[in-house]
Amino acid sequence: MPPFLKERKNVIVLGVLVFAHLVLISVQVPLGAERTLFDKAVFAFFAPVQRAAAGIAASVSGSWKGFFGLRGVRAENQKLLKEIFFARQENFFLRERLRFLQGEAKIRENLAVLRKTFVAARVIGLDASDPFKSLVINRGAADGVRANMAVCDRSGNLVGRVVEPVAFREATVQLITDPEAGVSVVSGTDRIVGVLAGDAGGGCRLRYVMSTTPGGQEGEALLTTGFDRLFPPGIRVGRIDSVVTDASLFKTIRVAPFFRFNDLDQVAVITERFEELF
Amino acid sequence: MRDILKDILEAAAAVLAAFLLYSLAGRAYPPLVLVFNAFSLVVIVFSVWKGELFGAVLGTACGLLQDSFSLGVFGVAGLSKTLLGYLAGYVSRKMQIGPSFRNFVFIFVCAAGELAVWTLLYALVFSRKMASGSALVLFQPLVTAALGSALLGLARRLEAAKP
Repeated sequence: MPPFLKERKNVIVLGVLVFAHLVLISVQVPLGAERTLFDKAVFAFFAPVQRAAAGIAASVSGSWKGFFGLRGVRAENQKLLKEIFFARQENFFLRERLRFLQGEAKIRENLAVLRKTFVAARVIGLDASDPFKSLVINRGAADGVRANMAVCDRSGNLVGRVVEPVAFREATVQLITDPEAGVSVVSGTDRIVGVLAGDAGGGCRLRYVMSTTPGGQEGEALLTTGFDRLFPPGIRVGRIDSVVTDASLFKTIRVAPFFRFNDLDQVAVITERFEELF
Repeated sequence: MRDILKDILEAAAAVLAAFLLYSLAGRAYPPLVLVFNAFSLVVIVFSVWKGELFGAVLGTACGLLQDSFSLGVFGVAGLSKTLLGYLAGYVSRKMQIGPSFRNFVFIFVCAAGELAVWTLLYALVFSRKMASGSALVLFQPLVTAALGSALLGLARRLEAAKP
């Protein structure tokens, strides 16, 4: 190696690395939201590591809780038995009521559709730069998970949608709290339609609601409309926190999502995409 | 050759540890991901130990790994961490950063610089201000500096204790 190159080896390597990064960033401009093959490969390689870490953490936490949970388990057992008794009674009553409202065949059909439509997934990681943007789940292409599938929490509230990269056993979910997200929603009472996007701080904003549009009250629930052809209509999204109408063209509407970050250990992926549902 | 291989293995283990730390921190309490950046910590510590060249290459690896687990443009964190690794290694060779307080200030400045570069790149690419609206991200340099200086201090003590 010539001496002048040897002397400047470090600067040359830095220059090459910076140039490579600039090329990498530029290459993505025509791709848009699509991820590069390199990005997908890194994700596919490291996602199983994250999955293993999440698994170990869950089992350690489970054992810890199980050990301490044994204390007072008898009293809890008695309490649960009592609750089960009342729950069974209530379940029986509700079943009878449902049978009365719908034919049994119809119920079976509905349940079969639901069972087929959802895939339960465990959250194994959060976005490395901003936890309010995305998360990683332990279901991937092998489980029938594909991009643009809606994701709900355990209570059926909208969490986000599956985006690329989708690995064999893991997938990325863009949260509705991401400023780049967009969900077409309608308010439950006043029927205000707008686009919900994240505010980058764990909350959301309802955008493009004209200042002249009447209605919109604090506490009003928001549901998906299905107009975006991504999310099935009728999924609970969030509640209006505050509405500010000023001189600007659009109202400033802050929305608190229904899903809670601390309860996001398990989610449900609606494995049939919008076009397949309708 | 053997030393290089040893350095690479050590760095790989550190990257893996940072990745596991980030995964577990996110699971335990999501805002922790904002409060400290395990990847930056690894890049700074290894840059001080092994020099700017090693720091730049490790910065690339850590940054791209962070990018692949984050929505956004792939390469933004890669570029900011490459610069971080190089500058941390270079400055630590030129300056005496041995004492604990100096160490802390040095890592704080490095982490703050990296955050500023990342924010600037993000603003350039997306034509909007910082990705996170959470003020917690502003604590990132402070926590990274505290953890980094503690780690370097521990390493120095272990080194001194060797016969």
